[in-house]
Amino acid sequence: MSVDRSGPLRIEVEDDPTPIVLILAATLRRSARQPKLAAAMAKAKGNVAMKSSVDPQAATIRFARGTITVVRGVASDAHVIIEADVNKMADENPPKPKVSGIAGHVRLALLASKVLEPPNAGWRNEATAFFAPTFANPKAPRGVSVTCLNDASTQTFGDPDTIEYEIHGTEHALLNVFCGNTVLGQDLLDGKIRAVGSLPHLAELTGRSIAVMLGA
Amino acid sequence: MDPRDVGQWLETNNIRWVKTEGISIDGLVIGKHISREKFESALPLGNAIADLVMGSDLGGTPYLAWWDDWRRDAIGDFHQQPDLNTLVVAPDRSRTANVLCNTVNLNGEPVPACPRSTLQRVVQQLGELGYTAKAAFEIEAMLFSQSPASARACKYRNLTAMGHPSHLGYLHYNSRHQLAYIDAVIERLDALNISVEGWHDEAGPGQFEINLDPADPLTACDHVVRLKQVLREVALEQGHCVTTMAKPNEEYGNGLHVHHSLSRDGEPVFYAADGSSLSETSRHWIGGMMATLPAATSMLCPTINSFRRMVGFAAAPTVASWAEDNKSTALRVLSRAPKSARIENRVAGGDANPYLVLAAVLAGGIAGLRHRIEAPPALHVSGWGLPDGWPHLPTTITKAADAFAHDTMLREVLGESFCSYWENTRRWEWLMFHTTGGDAEATNVTQWELDRYFEIV
Repeated sequence: MSVDRSGPLRIEVEDDPTPIVLILAATLRRSARQPKLAAAMAKAKGNVAMKSSVDPQAATIRFARGTITVVRGVASDAHVIIEADVNKMADENPPKPKVSGIAGHVRLALLASKVLEPPNAGWRNEATAFFAPTFANPKAPRGVSVTCLNDASTQTFGDPDTIEYEIHGTEHALLNVFCGNTVLGQDLLDGKIRAVGSLPHLAELTGRSIAVMLGA
Repeated sequence: MDPRDVGQWLETNNIRWVKTEGISIDGLVIGKHISREKFESALPLGNAIADLVMGSDLGGTPYLAWWDDWRRDAIGDFHQQPDLNTLVVAPDRSRTANVLCNTVNLNGEPVPACPRSTLQRVVQQLGELGYTAKAAFEIEAMLFSQSPASARACKYRNLTAMGHPSHLGYLHYNSRHQLAYIDAVIERLDALNISVEGWHDEAGPGQFEINLDPADPLTACDHVVRLKQVLREVALEQGHCVTTMAKPNEEYGNGLHVHHSLSRDGEPVFYAADGSSLSETSRHWIGGMMATLPAATSMLCPTINSFRRMVGFAAAPTVASWAEDNKSTALRVLSRAPKSARIENRVAGGDANPYLVLAAVLAGGIAGLRHRIEAPPALHVSGWGLPDGWPHLPTTITKAADAFAHDTMLREVLGESFCSYWENTRRWEWLMFHTTGGDAEATNVTQWELDRYFEIV
């Protein structure tokens, strides 16, 4: 069991966690950075399961008044069960998840809906956080330029004189990558973003993208 | 074989095509069929092959979450440098020769991810310490009456085992069901100069075991990869399917036990007349293997499925342990006979890459010699069913990868480039399992595992 303290909260994951467990824990940590959400999570009690509708991935979040534990699978004592298409959750218009157990646990369901979609700080700030540890990696590009297609604005990260990688995408796509909702390499393969740069740099940035997603 | 003699050899044997046999990190045999003229003209570097063969997983997905220094920047070529000592007339096809290859870069330098080169580096280090090793593998496989196409159609489930589904093993009645197949396999192995010590029915459904004669480490592994090819080829020709997957069903799994002996100046190192007064060298060798066993488990049990075999009372070890002639331990020492004093490592699954199995085994021993690691006490009880507190081996691919990551002694022998690549590939395999349809909660073999491993590992 590994433990992460986010303010008044303890966020724990099971021993040998699965990716979805790590992803949910990372999402909760992001939410815990918001004082209001952290306070709400600290008071919460109950179990919320998250289940993929397209593959066997599933995990349960146990809220226990300040301690949150994420474990694999849908627990038999889950109060609220959210079933969603995990491949489309980051889409601009994702299909509505199927939620069961709301009737008896309205507050818990509402809290879950909020903490599983933490507010973002805007793509520029999220990108700054994304790239912060990246440039210490000698295999990563020394400088990256990111262009937001919504307003054609560009921001550079790292060494502005040595731009070795360019990322182009809509604000939504950029936020997904930098918040860890999607994986850079996969988004490039899917045409959700475009990029100019080498495969080694793409691979290293994709590694960073996976690390952000898993909260590593 | 001297490169100058290749032309004459090809001419004498009337060879038109050469099948190149390189080895992927997962132990798959990869290569091309090239014309004799091209084969000759490409020497000594060998034919080109896309570098992606060393940068893709078992599902064909390129590793795109890290970049190794030895990889080409924009997907280029490596070369398959033939080991001319392995050039042999193909027994199954006219006018064709087979040759095993190392994967090298454009300068002819071994690619760190090449399993064959990795083992060669380890053997070289052993030689520098003054020792030579011999190894012999036991290959377990399961034979089913369906063709690969039929097996695929029924999703590799409910297959008809060739033989009675008893758990006895050594049952000649079962061997009889497999006789036509095994006879054809051995005939082909004979033609490939691969010497079989024996074979027998094993306890799983349709399971048999083939024991190869001891050979130097590289040759021993070459024989395993060629044997596994022959197993599949003959099965295909006879309309059957065969698997070396570690745990294709809920019965006994397939192992890849490896015996190894060590000698110095012609004297067997592991010999101890009374079976207990092991030499200092033996103790250090065992000590090194024991100290590195949790990390080595990553290389001995490389897939998600490998760990389903690692359960008690099912012929696979579950704790890091050694003892004289105890088949419930990870390392079974057989020290009493001077000519056959040896150590059997029983951890590896049938899905393991033999070159990496032996590289890990020998690297552990080398670490023991270098660091003078004393062997822990031998296990004098059953190694199965032991409570918490005993040194249990890693039970999942991630736990094994964690142990591998924390180990420094294997890394000293195997090299940083290889180790970094290996660890990344295992974490990638974990990610692929969980995010492309594998069921994390399944206590039995999943469809994802069967689809990915059954036919090719």
